Amino acid sequence: MSELNDRLIRCFSAVFPRLAIEDIPAARLESVEEWDSLAALRLVAVLEEEFGLRIDLSDLQELSSFKTIERYLLKRGDVS
Amino acid sequence: MKLIDALELLKRPVPERAPSLRAFLACGFTPLHLQTFFAAHLRTLHPHSRVDITTGLFGDLAGNLERLSPSDLDALAVVVEWQDLDPRLGIRSLGGWRSTDSSDIVKSAGKSAARIGGILKRLASSLPVCVCFPTLPLPPLFITRSEQSSVHELQLREMVASLASATSGERSVRIVNGQCLDELSPLGGRFDMDSEVMAGFPYTLAHASIVAELLAALIHNPGPKKGLITDLDDTLWAGILGEVGVDGLAWHMDQHAHVHGLYQQMLTSLASAGILIGVASKNDPALVEKAFARGDLILPRESVFPFEVHWDRKSGSVQRILETWNVGPESVVFVDDSPMEIAEVGAAFPGLECLLFPGNDYRALWKLLKRLRELFGKSAVSEEDSLRLRSIRDASAFRKHSGSTGGSLDDFLRDAEARILFTMDKQSGDARALELINKTNQFNLNGRRLNDSAWLGFLKKPGAFLVTATYEDKFGPLGKIAVLMGRQEDRRLAIDAWVMSCRAFSRRIEYQCLKYLFEKFKAEAIVFDFEATPRNGPLQEFFRPWLDGVPTGTFSLSRRSFFEKVPTLFHHIEEDVRVRIE
Repeated sequence: MSELNDRLIRCFSAVFPRLAIEDIPAARLESVEEWDSLAALRLVAVLEEEFGLRIDLSDLQELSSFKTIERYLLKRGDVS
Repeated sequence: MKLIDALELLKRPVPERAPSLRAFLACGFTPLHLQTFFAAHLRTLHPHSRVDITTGLFGDLAGNLERLSPSDLDALAVVVEWQDLDPRLGIRSLGGWRSTDSSDIVKSAGKSAARIGGILKRLASSLPVCVCFPTLPLPPLFITRSEQSSVHELQLREMVASLASATSGERSVRIVNGQCLDELSPLGGRFDMDSEVMAGFPYTLAHASIVAELLAALIHNPGPKKGLITDLDDTLWAGILGEVGVDGLAWHMDQHAHVHGLYQQMLTSLASAGILIGVASKNDPALVEKAFARGDLILPRESVFPFEVHWDRKSGSVQRILETWNVGPESVVFVDDSPMEIAEVGAAFPGLECLLFPGNDYRALWKLLKRLRELFGKSAVSEEDSLRLRSIRDASAFRKHSGSTGGSLDDFLRDAEARILFTMDKQSGDARALELINKTNQFNLNGRRLNDSAWLGFLKKPGAFLVTATYEDKFGPLGKIAVLMGRQEDRRLAIDAWVMSCRAFSRRIEYQCLKYLFEKFKAEAIVFDFEATPRNGPLQEFFRPWLDGVPTGTFSLSRRSFFEKVPTLFHHIEEDVRVRIE
């Protein structure tokens, strides 16, 4: 598993404490009950802090699952 | 603190039966990350409590405060931002920034400030209120260039300063220190405009964490340390007394010894606020006497007690000073310029905070002075603070005399000219009474501590009473030294808290307290909510004659039994009763 993947799992685990670690890679907005608008803002803030980048809140719609967020971060290229 | 660390901290389980700390976070914006950080910082400071934070509605700070039910809370944290005073002072409103609007903005902000101030005062009578006044930069709405202050901006700042100053006068109100906030969170890094527009949350994460940390610290409100033990040579003054002599000592700027003058000034300030100052010095006692006789010393001799001056180990000196003050090492700070002495004292007293005096390093001195203020800071100086040192000296004289008169204890107490003033009140403003309950260990009925909210709640109960005792004898005043809190139930009294300062032992004040209660309330029995603690042995021993042993739980003492065994009391009694007794 990549380092980015590990860090992303830690972010998800912090924002969605009831989600089992093994279920995190498959997490999607529709499948995680706690993933509401506030949780989404919290997740973005944690990602920004963890990866040292600024996420445009208009990108929120795109960031709707663990996989899409992982792809988004890989695509950004400015992840620290 | 990082947001991810705060979230992880809040995931940690809390024991089932953990006491809860219920706080309301009032702000006009979406609390979002501020709430998370606030909960995490409170959890850090109260690791054994369940922290429950509630919040109000978006955009209605004053309304949120007005709707509060204080009885459901232990503390209130209020964050006021400019837009709470007038929405046009934020960037979510398009209400107008015309030059002609400025006066109206100031006027409407004044009305909001008055409304918020009134609500805060009302709430402060029921629970501790911690307030953070505007922290964000004002938007560029005024007509002046950014480097020039606009008259309207100055009026707004003056208004907020007046509001803060007026509310800080309330006993239960604590205001976040703007200077401290500025140091920890520079102004340029506070505002997150993207987040404000998109999510209604105006703070950067870093700023939210700092604001939350300061509010949590104000709610936690730890008591100040009680005493400071200082070295002399190259600490209180520049120079080795035995080498340069009394006249060679220096603490002034023209002698390049200003660090020592500032340090003396700080110790004098602490002493004036009731902090005990003692000296532990390896020195010639006669020379030290002469040095303290110099009229230009900034720290006067009468502010220092006791002096431990000899050539023995400093840990021994510290031990004797702690005994004289009757405090534990965790309540005391030791300052010395020698790393070796710091290490020796630190090893002997692991709980005692040891600080190295930095010599001629002004930056390090600034840090030391700030650290001392952090350790000894308090909200106000009480009458007891000004009496503390004198009463410790007097207690020392009292012990000396009571052991040396050759007569009986009765003879000694008869001649002591003791006076006790009993005050009965139900007002919450007696900070000294609450302080005694929360600091006294040895003569303490059950060791239970009360937060402001529990204290205020108790006094509002029907039948509740609060009696305090203030003592003075020919050796000097001890100030307010005993507190009894209880409830009257017909001819029976239930005592929930009873504490007496250890400075007041051996004067039969505790007997007089019970005698006063029996007589004042015409009580037939007093029920004591006793609980043994590791340190309340003196109170347990007090009850031995009536119980044929020490108490083990709640017990009752009848009027007849009490008066059969009470020793002769010689105090002259005065009273100040401000409540009606049934």
